[in-house]
Amino acid sequence: MKYEGNSVSEGIAVGEVYLYTPFIPRIQEETIPESQTAEEVAQYQTAKERAKRELDKIKNKLEQEKDEKAKIFSAHLDILFDTVMDEDIIFFITNKKYSSSYAVSSIFDKYAKMLDKVADELIRERAADIRDVKNRLLRNLRGIEEKNLSILEKPAIVVAHDLTPSDTATLDRKNVLAIISETGGETSHTAIIAKSYGIPAVLGVKNMMSVLRQDEKVIVDAVKGEIFTEPSAEQIEYYLEEKQKYAENAKKIKEFISVQPVMQDGHNIGVYLNIGSAKPQELEGSVYVDGVGLFRTEFLFLGKEQLPTEEEQFTIYRKVLTTYGEKPVILRTLDIGGDKTVSYMDLPIEENPFLGNRALRLCFSHPEIFKTQLKAAYRASVYGNLWLMLPMVGSLDDIRKAKVFIEEVKTELRQNAIAYSENVKVGIMIEIPSIALIADKAAKEVDFASFGTNDLCQYLTAVDRMNPQISEYYQSYHPAMFRLMGYATEAFAKLGKPVSVCGELGGDLLAPAVLIGLGINKLSMGIGSVARTKKLITHLSFEKAKKLAAAVKEMSTAAEVEQYLKSELSEILQ
Amino acid sequence: MYSKKTVIANNTGLHARPASDFIANATKFKSRIFIKRLDSGDEANAKSIIMLLSLALDKGTEVEIYAEGEDEITAVNSLIDLIDSKFGEDK
Repeated sequence: MKYEGNSVSEGIAVGEVYLYTPFIPRIQEETIPESQTAEEVAQYQTAKERAKRELDKIKNKLEQEKDEKAKIFSAHLDILFDTVMDEDIIFFITNKKYSSSYAVSSIFDKYAKMLDKVADELIRERAADIRDVKNRLLRNLRGIEEKNLSILEKPAIVVAHDLTPSDTATLDRKNVLAIISETGGETSHTAIIAKSYGIPAVLGVKNMMSVLRQDEKVIVDAVKGEIFTEPSAEQIEYYLEEKQKYAENAKKIKEFISVQPVMQDGHNIGVYLNIGSAKPQELEGSVYVDGVGLFRTEFLFLGKEQLPTEEEQFTIYRKVLTTYGEKPVILRTLDIGGDKTVSYMDLPIEENPFLGNRALRLCFSHPEIFKTQLKAAYRASVYGNLWLMLPMVGSLDDIRKAKVFIEEVKTELRQNAIAYSENVKVGIMIEIPSIALIADKAAKEVDFASFGTNDLCQYLTAVDRMNPQISEYYQSYHPAMFRLMGYATEAFAKLGKPVSVCGELGGDLLAPAVLIGLGINKLSMGIGSVARTKKLITHLSFEKAKKLAAAVKEMSTAAEVEQYLKSELSEILQ
Repeated sequence: MYSKKTVIANNTGLHARPASDFIANATKFKSRIFIKRLDSGDEANAKSIIMLLSLALDKGTEVEIYAEGEDEITAVNSLIDLIDSKFGEDK
């Protein structure tokens, strides 16, 4: 049988299925009779012993493989044997007559919450470890076997309903051949992780958990987004060959990661990185690129218990700016709302969140949050080359209002004798069509612009990009996209102000050729697309790019554009 | 009761591995041991990783370690030495 889904991270895999069902503890307050307390304590001790054996096993295996992740599990052992929590749990069982599960659950939660409140980011992250150890203990109290993606017995194709960030963060990269999930699309967390690890992934394949059996052999073609069950010997042979070919090609492309992105006729293109945090793997990319084209600052705000402080933000911004030195770092101010929500802000539910109080609008309605971020950014500006980018700008009113905030913050810093750089550039994201259509006016008031093509496409074509029912209408190759971007780019170019692309199109397989032809000379993308895009740039001439752009602007449909580009670029893509 | 003061000197502070080393050392002793932040007065059981982390002891923080029990002197001295050794971070 053949099943289809979204191929979000390319590659091919042939292997056996590992059905992943995470343990979800369902705990309720329960008390026990006095006579049972000794037994409950004994159960807790046994579960703890079992948990210890599991952790020892994982830790030893990782240590043998010299895997850095061994440290995580060593920390989990420390947590499991924490004396204060241990005493509290036993006290809860013997004195409050709580069941062992409820005692474990409430004590672990209590201490995790305590660490959530610590200002230090590194320590707050430990709260997640406490919750992980809690689940391990609770599972052992139920006598359920471990299912864990951080350590697999053998190479396998992981199949899940959905994967959480903690599942993917500790993923056993060596043994995961591919990922199949029932939910998730191009921009989901799983997709981003799979791409960055280079693991083939097909997401959004319905009913996979009930269709597939543990250990059954399947083929995953994450180039086309297809899954084959009960494959024939010929099919297996064919796909093993394809896999080999794919790997060789990927290796060839990889060689392009460190080349200078200069076109055939000497035209220079800047290749920039999109980063979502300041984790080491994201900072290491700095040597291959000309700067950061999009620093998403949301990660500081999402999945937390409280707002990040100015100090915390400053520390992270400084780290990124220091790493990139003289290379520009385009920091996008807070973009939450829409599909990104935070629990602690208690934002009202909106009918149309993508058209609602998000990003810059949200910052205007929460001035303190906006000012704290601006302050942290300006303080960090002395450590590198900071460019500040405002998201969701629809009018000049937005730009002017934001500038008032920026001036206020600068004044406060001066009053407090805190240093900041006078060379910070202020620019806008172009993602709302209205600002694109008055780009000539906007260009007079800002230093630069960057196209956020995901939202630009969503707003231009009136398609909710989170709604899978209408995904066929989300056409990023729509000729209107290229016409509009071309128009806005010209307006900025007239005033000599730089324009870049930081949405998915910037690192797309085909689109960069057209974008360059429209006059955009900076492209920003995830690290996974850098080598491929550099290959495209170095094999293309600026003259050809201009020809492609002119042709595409005169086309009628997205399909026509795609077909044309595929044929025009076929030699380079090989 | 025996006590001594020192200043956290290693770059990463008492997080991650240094915190783990500290706990491993403290649990070897029979005495009850506490560690106190001298700036805020907050203190924690020195044998608990969670409590230790909650103090967020960064480089430069002044702390006092005190213990009560049969091996209180060796316990305090040993932990102070460990902090002063910078957990082997400087080479």
